[in-house]
Amino acid sequence: MSIVPADPLMQLETTCGTLLYELQIIWDEVGESDTERDKMLLELERECLEVYRRKVDQANKCRAQLRQAIADSEAELAAICSAMGERPVHIRQSDQNPGSLKAELRAIVPQLDEMRKRKCERKNQFLEILEQIQKIKCEIYRSTGYPPANTVLDETDLSLRKLEELQTELQAVQMEKSERLKKVLDRLNTLNSLCVVLGMDFKETVGEVHPSLGESEGTKNISNDTIEQLAAAIQRLREIKIQRMQRLQDLATSLLELWNLMDTPVEEQQIFQSVTANIAASEDETTEPNMLSVDFIKYVEAEVSRLEELKASKMKELVLKKRFELEDICRKTHIIPESDSSLDVAIEAIELGAVDASSVLEQIELQISNIKEEAFCRKEILEKVEKWMAACEEECWLEEYNRDDNRYNAGRGAHLTLKRAEKARALVNKLPAMVEALASKITAWENERGTEFSYDGIRLLSMLEEYTILRQEKELERKRQRDQKKLQGQLITEQEALYGSKPSPMKCQSGKKGSRLSCGGGASNRRLSLGGTTLQTPKADLLHPTRATPNTRQAKKIERLHQNDHSNLLKDDGIASLSAGRRGLDIAGLPVKKSSFGESPMVRKPFSPISSTDSSKSNATNILEDLSRKHNDMLQKTLSSNNASFTTPSKIISAVEEENRTPKAKTIPVPATPATVSVPMQTAVTPALFAAPPCNSKPVDDIPEEIEYSFEERRAGFVLPNSSLKTTILV
Amino acid sequence: MTAPPQVTTGRELSSPPADGITNLRFSTHSDHLLVSSWDKSVRLYDASANAVRGEFMHGGAVLDCCFHDDSSGFSAGADNTVRRLVFNYGREDILGRHDAPVRCVEYSSATGQVITGSWDKTLKCWDPRGASGQDRTLLGTYTQPERVYSLSLVGNRLVVATAGRHVNVYDLRNMSQPEQRRESSLKYQTRCVRCYPNGTGYALSSVEGRVAMEFFDLSEAGQSKKYAFKCHRKSEAGRDIVYPVNSIAFHPIYGTFATGGCDGYVNVWDGNNKKRLYQYSKYPTSIAALSFSRDGKLLAVASSYTYEEGDKPHEPDAIFVRSVNEVEIKPKPKVLPNPST
Repeated sequence: MSIVPADPLMQLETTCGTLLYELQIIWDEVGESDTERDKMLLELERECLEVYRRKVDQANKCRAQLRQAIADSEAELAAICSAMGERPVHIRQSDQNPGSLKAELRAIVPQLDEMRKRKCERKNQFLEILEQIQKIKCEIYRSTGYPPANTVLDETDLSLRKLEELQTELQAVQMEKSERLKKVLDRLNTLNSLCVVLGMDFKETVGEVHPSLGESEGTKNISNDTIEQLAAAIQRLREIKIQRMQRLQDLATSLLELWNLMDTPVEEQQIFQSVTANIAASEDETTEPNMLSVDFIKYVEAEVSRLEELKASKMKELVLKKRFELEDICRKTHIIPESDSSLDVAIEAIELGAVDASSVLEQIELQISNIKEEAFCRKEILEKVEKWMAACEEECWLEEYNRDDNRYNAGRGAHLTLKRAEKARALVNKLPAMVEALASKITAWENERGTEFSYDGIRLLSMLEEYTILRQEKELERKRQRDQKKLQGQLITEQEALYGSKPSPMKCQSGKKGSRLSCGGGASNRRLSLGGTTLQTPKADLLHPTRATPNTRQAKKIERLHQNDHSNLLKDDGIASLSAGRRGLDIAGLPVKKSSFGESPMVRKPFSPISSTDSSKSNATNILEDLSRKHNDMLQKTLSSNNASFTTPSKIISAVEEENRTPKAKTIPVPATPATVSVPMQTAVTPALFAAPPCNSKPVDDIPEEIEYSFEERRAGFVLPNSSLKTTILV
Repeated sequence: MTAPPQVTTGRELSSPPADGITNLRFSTHSDHLLVSSWDKSVRLYDASANAVRGEFMHGGAVLDCCFHDDSSGFSAGADNTVRRLVFNYGREDILGRHDAPVRCVEYSSATGQVITGSWDKTLKCWDPRGASGQDRTLLGTYTQPERVYSLSLVGNRLVVATAGRHVNVYDLRNMSQPEQRRESSLKYQTRCVRCYPNGTGYALSSVEGRVAMEFFDLSEAGQSKKYAFKCHRKSEAGRDIVYPVNSIAFHPIYGTFATGGCDGYVNVWDGNNKKRLYQYSKYPTSIAALSFSRDGKLLAVASSYTYEEGDKPHEPDAIFVRSVNEVEIKPKPKVLPNPST
């Protein structure tokens, strides 16, 4: 047996045989009984059987496991194949056993592995697509709360068909997404253009809809909600736009109107060209940036209001001008404007903005045309009135002239006055007829119209009546004068008869005032009445109706009568006559020019010699220079003693004092007027010394203070901020 | 015809201001007279017609006024405002404001600017053509050492007299700083400063009856010409009474000048020949302001108590317009036959 050691069983058998042999030897030695030996051998046999059985069981179990594994693998393979929609690559013919089980398993495992791999790949594909779909859907339905965890893959169906289905779904979803995105972008564009036109912040507006829309990068929200909100926003903005556009167009219309009205220069218009260019544009035609922004509209509004204000002020000016025109016409035609106060009220109302200026303007225009009409029908009478007035003036002048006893003295222009007198006399003769004709004309006019003919607010007829009465009075007066003169003549002749001849009192007086009366006086008096009519305003007339022509004349006449009385009583009254003349001049508003007198007449007293005041005065000053110099020095001393109390010292003081004392300064006739000297000097210069003694003299001792204030500051109660203490004393 | 004829004082204008007169000025185009007053009004008179042509009421007393052209003017208010007045339509608008009452206002036709001096120690220049509103009209603010009391302009020169006897001379073309900083050569508070019409210097009067004649030329020869003289004084009972000299007005043609004092007298002087030419008769109360008309034929005199002795009863305020005789105002040369002013 040892010869074939290759066979393990044989070997084992050998080993067993040797072991048995060894046991037999041992037993022999031991002398074991046969029964014992048999028992032992049986035990050996049983134990061996046991071992065999166990091993067989083990092998059996292993085979079963193997079979199970194969079955499992096959099942899995089949499942995968079915899930992938593929025919199984390998179908095992279980009946024909191709080899051992292990070989079978070995064959199947790689297949399974590959299938698994493919399945995994497919699954990944599915997942990817699903995920994409999910994501897009999520984007689309985000706001509606679409369940996001829906990416559960149905592992049983991973077929290509399914994959294709999913792919088409994905495409559809993608399409929808792009559509929506396009829509959103579209709306955003619209919104942007609207915002630009309206001058709004696009980002802000869009951010209100959804914060993601405002960002230039990143995904945009494309949910239904967002789209709707965008649409709503667009709608809203469009409405605003339309509203603003209407507002702007309204403004543009008013702008154009105002420009038209006021002939605004083109340069000024140019600025608002863009506004007026769009006046008829439709909503989508206005695309200019900021065209409809709040600021721009405000700007245009401001311009419109500025122009309106301008217009208002121009209207006001126009109204005022028209009013002046009206007043002017009224003044020229001597009509009292009826509704003067109402006009004032209207103008005030314009200023307050309560009334439209144009209506007032219309009203004034109407009044003007009315007045013009009236003026036209009054024209004839007014012309006559003018003539009458002129005649009255001539009459007045003539009277004056007649009274001048010096009138026939040959002098410069005497022949002209003579001629004038001749003419005036003719005119005066015609006066009563003129008045009568005028009166009848007026009555006719009044009858025709049923209203009174007023002249500067006074009924003209009454003026005429007054005049005729005046005239009658004058006539009477004249008669009385004549009588008196006659009486006087008699008296003089009687006296002459008694005491011898005497110079006429008339001559005595005439030397003094004759020339003035005939030339200056006459002229000034004419100016008086003229001035009265031209300068007076209708209102003033209402207040002082006595200033109408006939009345002033009356007043003057009385004054003149006084003069005559004086002269008749042989009293000299140079001052009175002079002052009367001056008064007349003053009222006429003539600049007082009397070069013929050399010295001003106000300086010269009556009867004082017109000797050279000039030279005497200069003499006086020359003499005074010396005197005053001495006094100056003296006074300076006294002053400086006073000055010691002043608190504002100055380094220049001495300099000034010295300057005043320098030889050069001494030659200066410093015209300080110390009391003793000033008296004669002043008499030489002006007669004013006779005026009341000075009453508001005032020493300046109290002027310097810690903080100096001017009189005005004291009066205004003005104090420097840092001197509050002083105020209580000063104010 | 009711009032007695004012033979010696000139013609009194009707309807004078109701309170103290602060200044009056003749127009340089006509015989219109602009008058400012403590009664818060500015009035425009036609001096030749003796008529009021316009009246403006302000929020506070008006301390000064001047013409712009014949149809408009400016006023300086104690309510800190500078106003522009348009006479034709009675319109007024505020040109700007100071921080304290505005004491004086001048219009420079050379530069077209309005210059105002205030008690807030500043001088301000304004452009009257700008739309109203301080930011658009204000050209510049120039701090002065003290409250401004009087201003005077000639050509491009501006003389500013302030409290504390400071005198600043500016060139209007460069207002950044004074051309000259001076101290008044008089010892007491400055009352009025007026430039010579020929532009070589200025006359300055003080509260202590004295007037200084100054020259811009800083050379020794120029400064040697300057001098001061006493005026508006009176000796009474051995005591010398000295009156403030409120106003100086130069004659536009002859360059001689008139001074008005609190003694109520108006004196006319020939500065070149150092002579007094004339003394007009006494006016009822202090002379607050003087102005010659453009041709020098008329002299407006404001006889109005200037508050030198505080609140007390006084004569009514009045404006007199007197015609000026050549003999009263024409210089009397001593040596030179033709005195150029």
